Amino acid sequence: MAGLFSRLSAAWHSDLALRFRRNRNAMIGSILVSLVLFVALFGGLFAPYEYDRINMAVIWEPPGAEFLMGTDALGRDVFSRILIGARISMLVAASVLAITFVIGVTLGMIAGYFGGWADTLIMRTVDIIFAFPELILAILVAAVIGTGTGTVIVALSLVWWPGIARLTRSLVLSLREEMYIDAAISSGTHPARILLRHLLPNIASPLIVRASVGVGFIVMAEATLSFLGIGVQEPTPTWGGMIRDGLDSLRTDPHLALYSSLALGITIIGFNMLGDGLRDLFDPKMGER
Amino acid sequence: MSGSVLNISGLSVDFATLRGPLRVLDGVDFSLEEGEILGLVGESGSGKSVSAMTVMGLLPDTARIAAGSIRLGGRELVGLGRKAMRPLRGRDMAMIFQEPMTSLNPVLTVGFQIAETRMLHFGESEPAAMRKAVEMMEAVGIPDPAARALDYPHQLSGGMRQRIMIAIAMAGEPRLLIADEPTTALDVTIQAQILDLMLDLRDRTGTAILMITHDMGVIAQMADRVAVMYAGQIVEQAGADDLFDHPAHPYTNRLLQSIPSARHRVDRLKIIPGTTPSPRDFALGCRFQPRCEDALTRCLSEAQVLAQYAPDRLVRCWRCFEPAEGVV
Repeated sequence: MAGLFSRLSAAWHSDLALRFRRNRNAMIGSILVSLVLFVALFGGLFAPYEYDRINMAVIWEPPGAEFLMGTDALGRDVFSRILIGARISMLVAASVLAITFVIGVTLGMIAGYFGGWADTLIMRTVDIIFAFPELILAILVAAVIGTGTGTVIVALSLVWWPGIARLTRSLVLSLREEMYIDAAISSGTHPARILLRHLLPNIASPLIVRASVGVGFIVMAEATLSFLGIGVQEPTPTWGGMIRDGLDSLRTDPHLALYSSLALGITIIGFNMLGDGLRDLFDPKMGER
Repeated sequence: MSGSVLNISGLSVDFATLRGPLRVLDGVDFSLEEGEILGLVGESGSGKSVSAMTVMGLLPDTARIAAGSIRLGGRELVGLGRKAMRPLRGRDMAMIFQEPMTSLNPVLTVGFQIAETRMLHFGESEPAAMRKAVEMMEAVGIPDPAARALDYPHQLSGGMRQRIMIAIAMAGEPRLLIADEPTTALDVTIQAQILDLMLDLRDRTGTAILMITHDMGVIAQMADRVAVMYAGQIVEQAGADDLFDHPAHPYTNRLLQSIPSARHRVDRLKIIPGTTPSPRDFALGCRFQPRCEDALTRCLSEAQVLAQYAPDRLVRCWRCFEPAEGVV
C-alpha cells in the first residue's frame, strides 16, 4: 500500500500539490489535522503537570497563569489531561481505521469482484450489522467484554467495517466492468493480482477520503462511549470522558467541559475539512488533470 | 490439425435469458494457420465479438458453450477451467481490445502494464521486464520509449495507447493474436499506421491474427482469408482476393456494394434493406433470406450448410449451387 501510494503521489505530485494549496478546505483541514497529530505524538512533552496528579489543594481552579485551563474536581491540570487525551483519541481512531479498512476493503473487494455466494454471505452479514443502531451495538460489545480502551477499539471496529465493505463493493462493482480489467484477465493475470494491483489503486482515492472523514466520526463515537462510561476508564483522560465529568459543573465551572469540547470540535472539523478537500482534489471532474 | 494455431469447429454459444437460451453463435467453423491473418467480418450483432470472447474464455456468466470445440495449438479449450485457462491467456493467445481509451488501467504506468505480461508468463523480475517493455515499445514505434514507459495512459494519444495495447498483447509472444476492431476508435491516418504495424509484427514473429472488424477496407488491407458472419453463422469463407473479386454469397455481395469506391462514382451507395435479425427471430430457412433479393423458394424453408463451392471456398447459400431454380 505504501509503495502504491508513493507511485500515485509521485506521478501526480506537482499537479496535486498545486491544487492542494489552492483548496481552502484541504489546507485548513490539513493544518488542523497536523496540529492534532503533533499534540497526540508529542503533547506529553509539553504537559506542565502529570495528567493523573491529584492535588486536593487546588480543586476547581479557574483558568489562570498557574493552570492554563484550570483544574478539575480532583485538582488535576486540565491542560495536561487534554494533551494526553489527544493521544488516546488518535490511538483509538488510528486502530479503528486500520482494522476496519483491512477487513472492510478485503471483504468488500471479494464480494464485489467474485460475486456469487461470497458476495451473498458478506453482504448479508453487513446488512445484519447495519440493522442495529451503531451505539447500541457498541454498548453491547462493552457489556460483553468489559470496559477499556481495547473495548472501544473492538466495538467501533465492529460497527464500522460494514460501511467500508459496502463502499468498497460498490466501487469494485462499477470498475469490474471496465475494459482494462478484461484486458488484465486476458493477459492471464491472477485474480488476487487483479484485485491488488489493478483495482485497489483505482479505488484508493474515495477510500482515503472516507478514512479522513471517518476519523471525525470515530473520535466522536469514542467520546460518546467514554461519555456513557463504557469506554476508556479513569484515570486515563479522554476528551469524551472529560466532557462528561465537566457537564455536572457546567454552570459553575464551564472550563472543564469547554476546553475538551473545543479540542474535540477542532479535531472533527479538521478531519472533515481535510476529507472534503481531498474528495474535491481526487475528483477527476474537478479541474484539469 | 496439422500446424493449425487455432481450430474452431461446430462452435455454438447460448446466452441465458429470461425467455430461455438464445443461440448467438451457431456452428461456427474456422481455423488459422501460423502467420495467417483471418478477417472475421459482419454487421453489429453478427457474433464476431462473441467468437473472440469465447476463444479467450471471457464470456459473461450467462453464456454457455453449447457445442463444438476450440483447439489452440492442438489443445482443447472448451471445458477448460479458469485456472487452466490462465497460463494460456497472454502467453499462447492475446487480445487487442477495441477501445484503447478504456482498455488501459489509468493508475498504472504503461511500461508496467507491458512488463506485467512478462513477469506473469516468463517469471522475469520487474527491472528485467521493464527493460523488455521499453524494447517492446520501441518495436511498436513509440518514440523515446524509455521516457514514455513511465507515463500514465491519460498522457498518451489514442494512437499511442493502441500501440501500447499491441505491445501488451505481443509481450507474451503469443501464437494467436485476436484483434477486436483494433482501429475503429482511431483516426483514419492512425488506423493505417496501426494496421501496418500489425502486419509488420506478423511478418517478424509469425503470430496468427484473428482480425475482427466490420470494416471491409481493413480486411482488404490485412487479411489473407476472410470469414463473413451473419446472424451467428459463417456464411462465406474464402481467400481475401477471391472474396473481393467474386463474392459468392448474396450477403457478401451486398456488403461489398455498400462500400464507397474511389474508382466508380455513384450518387447513392447501395444499402442492404432491413437490419440484422435478433437471435430470437431468425428466419426458418436461410437466415439472410428475408433481406435477400435473390431468394429461392427453397431458401424459405430449408437451411443450407456451409458447403464447398470452389477450392478453398465455402458458402452457405442454395443459390450458389442451384442458380437455375425459380426465384420467389
